[in-house]
Amino acid sequence: MGRITLDKVRKAFGDTEVIPPLDLTIEDGEFVVFVGPSGCGKSTLLRLIAGLEDVSGGEIRIDGKPATDLPPAKRGLAMVFQSYALYPHMTVRKNITFPLKMAGMSEEEKKRRVDHAAEVLNLTDYLDRRPGQLSGGQRQRVAIGRAIVREPAAFLFDEPLSNLDAALRVGMRLEISELHERLKTTMVYVTHDQVEAMTMADKIVVLRAGNIEQVGSPLDLYRTPRNLFVAGFIGSPTMNLIDGAEAAKHDARTIGIRPEHIDVVGDGPWQGKVGVSEHLGSDTFFHVHETGLADIITVRAPGEVNHRAGDTIRLSPQMDKLHRFGQDGLRIA
Amino acid sequence: MATQHSRAAARFMIAPSVVLLLAWMLIPLGMTLYFSFLRYNLLMPGNNPFVGFENYAYFVTDPAFQAAIVNTLLLVGGILLITVVGGIALAVLLDQPMWGTGIVRIMVISPFFVMPTVSALVWKNMFMNPVNGLFAYIAEVLGMQPFDFLTQAPLASIIGIVSWQWLPFATLILLTAMQSLDSEQLEASEMDGASAWSRFYYIKLPHLARAITVVVLIQTIFLLSIFAEILVTTNGGPGTASTNLTYLVYAESLLRFDVGTGSAGGVIAIILANIVAIFLMRMIGKNLDA
Amino acid sequence: MARAVTTKTKAINTAIAWTIAILIFFPILWTVLTSFKSEGTAIADPPVFLFFDWTLENYATVQERSSYFRHFMNSVVISVGSTIIGLAIGIPAAWAMAFVPGKQTKNVLMWMLSTKMLPPVGVLVPLYLIFRDWGLLDTRIGLIIVLTLINLPIIVWMLYTYFREIPNDILEAARMDGATLRSEVIYVLLPMAVPGIASTLLLNIILAWNEAFWTLNLTAANAAPLTAFIASYSSPEGLFYAKLSAASTMAIAPILIMGWFSQKQLVRGLTFGAVK
Repeated sequence: MGRITLDKVRKAFGDTEVIPPLDLTIEDGEFVVFVGPSGCGKSTLLRLIAGLEDVSGGEIRIDGKPATDLPPAKRGLAMVFQSYALYPHMTVRKNITFPLKMAGMSEEEKKRRVDHAAEVLNLTDYLDRRPGQLSGGQRQRVAIGRAIVREPAAFLFDEPLSNLDAALRVGMRLEISELHERLKTTMVYVTHDQVEAMTMADKIVVLRAGNIEQVGSPLDLYRTPRNLFVAGFIGSPTMNLIDGAEAAKHDARTIGIRPEHIDVVGDGPWQGKVGVSEHLGSDTFFHVHETGLADIITVRAPGEVNHRAGDTIRLSPQMDKLHRFGQDGLRIA
Repeated sequence: MATQHSRAAARFMIAPSVVLLLAWMLIPLGMTLYFSFLRYNLLMPGNNPFVGFENYAYFVTDPAFQAAIVNTLLLVGGILLITVVGGIALAVLLDQPMWGTGIVRIMVISPFFVMPTVSALVWKNMFMNPVNGLFAYIAEVLGMQPFDFLTQAPLASIIGIVSWQWLPFATLILLTAMQSLDSEQLEASEMDGASAWSRFYYIKLPHLARAITVVVLIQTIFLLSIFAEILVTTNGGPGTASTNLTYLVYAESLLRFDVGTGSAGGVIAIILANIVAIFLMRMIGKNLDA
Repeated sequence: MARAVTTKTKAINTAIAWTIAILIFFPILWTVLTSFKSEGTAIADPPVFLFFDWTLENYATVQERSSYFRHFMNSVVISVGSTIIGLAIGIPAAWAMAFVPGKQTKNVLMWMLSTKMLPPVGVLVPLYLIFRDWGLLDTRIGLIIVLTLINLPIIVWMLYTYFREIPNDILEAARMDGATLRSEVIYVLLPMAVPGIASTLLLNIILAWNEAFWTLNLTAANAAPLTAFIASYSSPEGLFYAKLSAASTMAIAPILIMGWFSQKQLVRGLTFGAVK
């Protein structure tokens, strides 16, 4: 079981409140991702759940039991750190065994669990090496292994992939998702990368300056961003935001349209000059200037489409995919 | 996790060091200050009357004091000049590709581990002795008169001996600093067309500036207190030709048993050292924030 | 720079560096060589370098005629003793400052450093009198106390810079893994701190072994360590080069070897972490 409830949890460092009172429920077995720009308080929130920081107010409950004042080890949670935090003087086996040793487990139980974890994570051949002799991806797996063997109520991940190169990151992302499929244990995952959030999460929590901006499934957030911040944060390339007369036509302060929801058609209502084109093969991104709407309108066209820089093209937004935001930045239904 | 509990434990753990050092600093320092205002000679028992600044006046007007100040400055300045310039040169040299770097390094660093009394004695007898010393032999081979280093140029000789001891220190620190220089910076400057000399002058030397300052300050602290080398080689003489402030205070206190005057000299030495210390502490303090 | 250096450049560098290094090392080498000569050979004109009758007789004489061994033991007891006590006091302090830093930590550290800047001669008189009155003059324990105190700031500083390099993440990981404070210290912190503690120990023994102000001023025949014992050779009757060399070689050899091993850590210790 691993249901985590935060009830009016707040955190202040001295006089600066980094997390104003906040409520959140993480259901058992859920993969929840905290996402937001750096400094938004997502890591602090994770550390509050872990017990590595004291809360300044409010209550944390794990499976209904109060955990606010429990030391980290007593919360039944396991954490994977950004720096992996492996013990450099211990072999891989000893690293993974360490939490079991601390729990005073029997030798055969320790061996059984470690061997199992090593097999799951493809670490069997490396058990006698030290962390210094491993690649980044392998270290990452050891850190996960150390978390798995405890059979925790929930896993906490603090930006675990940010030290890996791009190719490895995609691979590890998949591995962690598969791990979640198999273990069905609650996972709380912190990242600043919205792609990671979208691809892995059951539920995304978008944070800004310690406040929860929106909670929802990846597609909820994509389809119905609650405000301008979420609209701009979720999705890649980012949503085009248009102010002024064009927005006023739709009774909004700002309208938003995602690049993939703009079609290049001969008779579209908008027109502009093509600037840079980015050819990805599967898609082509155009940066369109001089539209009179915004500095740049980004358009995503499927497949290989060729427009030379300087060409004038006409664009047509898909009206049903238009997002409208009011004076206060909130979505207008 | 800095909880109240761990804070209390931390204070408890730091306390012994702080208390001991506080006692070490305050008690003798207070006594030195107190003695410096008394007429107090161990050879003349009796009451020790308060005499105000008399000891200071006596100490400062003593011709030996002026000589000692000049000698102290010459010692510190001379050794600093030799060790810093020599240290930079050696650091640049040892940073070059060569065979046997490890052994060269070990040989260069060795003098620093020789205890001051041994190095003073070895230099004095086996090298500088005008009859049997190696230098006398070399002079003889070159057809020159043997030179009695410690009598004719006592201060310069001591500068030589102490420089030999401290050159490794400067070299080692400057070499360490040199090796922390990002090689991409050098490559970039090479791409920019900088010659070897320009690379040294515009890239390496500025990079070393901080380490040089540290070397100068730390050595100054130690060099102000040169003692064993003087005691062993010249006993401060001939006359006061090689007496520095430390040796003068020692002579006043433990040779002439004049506690009052010795203490006044001690206070002056502390003030001088503090002037240097303030700069050094600032440097190190800045590093603590980084 | 991953480029081939011409053999010629490398040869020139090597020649210059070796020449200078040998010149710098020469006084030590000469002392060691002389210690194996007879007194006559030691002052031979012209001097002989390698081709003489090697003898161990000087070492034997130094041992027999003087109380060399006692002074050697004094050096060992004083330098090791003051280092161990210093570590016992310094480790908890450095530990606390590195892992539970408070608002005053920096000030305390700087203040500790400032005590090291105190010129010894400034407190020579009172210390001499205290030692005289308490019967500490010419005792090992007296010197151990003084050397512990003068080197304590270096010990705390060096340890502090090492401890601070242990990432906090790892300690937090241990806490998450269920380690109590005790097991955190035993299984995680201590093993990671061992290299730092070892280098601190080594450097401090070197400094204490070579300390030549207090050892000269506060000891006489009994507790004199090698620094003071060697100084007694400066009197004219001690002018026997071969024996002087033998005594000197024995006095510097152990520390020279320790120094070679700790040269890297030396920089950090002697610059209070300002140069790494």
